[in-house]
Amino acid sequence: MRSTLLSQITTNLAGSNVSVSQELPWNSGGQVLYSKNKKHFYLDEEQESREEFIKTLDKNDVEQKTITLNGYLTVDAKNQPGDMSNVVANIIAANSSITTTIDNSVDVTTEIEDDDITYTFEFNFITII
Amino acid sequence: MAVINVSAGNEAVLVLGDAAANANVASGATTGLVVPNMQDITINNSTGIFRFKTLDNTAESAVTTPATNQISLNAVVDANAFFGTGAGSIDTVIDTGLFGCSKNKTKVFFEVAFDGRDSGSKYFKGSGFISGLAPTVNMDSPVWITPVTIEVDGDFTEAVLS
Repeated sequence: MRSTLLSQITTNLAGSNVSVSQELPWNSGGQVLYSKNKKHFYLDEEQESREEFIKTLDKNDVEQKTITLNGYLTVDAKNQPGDMSNVVANIIAANSSITTTIDNSVDVTTEIEDDDITYTFEFNFITII
Repeated sequence: MAVINVSAGNEAVLVLGDAAANANVASGATTGLVVPNMQDITINNSTGIFRFKTLDNTAESAVTTPATNQISLNAVVDANAFFGTGAGSIDTVIDTGLFGCSKNKTKVFFEVAFDGRDSGSKYFKGSGFISGLAPTVNMDSPVWITPVTIEVDGDFTEAVLS
């Protein structure tokens, strides 16, 4: 799922001011990569949670599986790339590349620290198993 | 006093077959269709009542009439149980599934155990017709679920698994 989403985001951001990294957002010298490498989008590893969706008497319960992926992008808060709104929209639009789900959603939050603004994208993909 | 619960291994079980011998709820029996994925099951034994008033009485009188017997349940749709597995088994209910039995108006025999399939479990048996199938799905509940009603022909017979 991560590779599919990352591939679609790479396609969607081609020609923009933002690059897409294939790496995980690991720390380098005590600093996360997306903070160190501005204007580079990083996608974290998949997180999975399962919860009971329908209980049955014979214990063949139906479960709801939610896969969450967090993406990070840091840019200069004062001088954001001119196409930033398009970049955000194109990252969000990439969630439709994941199929065979019953619900895809994206939440975008921002956080400013010093002169950087970090966009955090939380992708949620829900399937029934 | 002995409360009957549905903890693991002691769940309510409904087995259907096209003959009384096939609808066998005993542990190890494989001749009938064990209805899978039931969410709930209700056994109805509703005695009919005829009420009448007389001039010399201040309250209605009542007499009983034959009971309406019914088994109703809701289940997550299992493709094999609902549509059948096709020809090949020894039982029509397994072959044609719940939908086939309903559509073809096949008489089905049933055994419904209260407390699992092991010895000592109380169960009802009888025969009837499958009715009330209404599979439904929507995006808030994206799994097919259907009610099932067995309109019982005659009476329930109570027994205990040996």
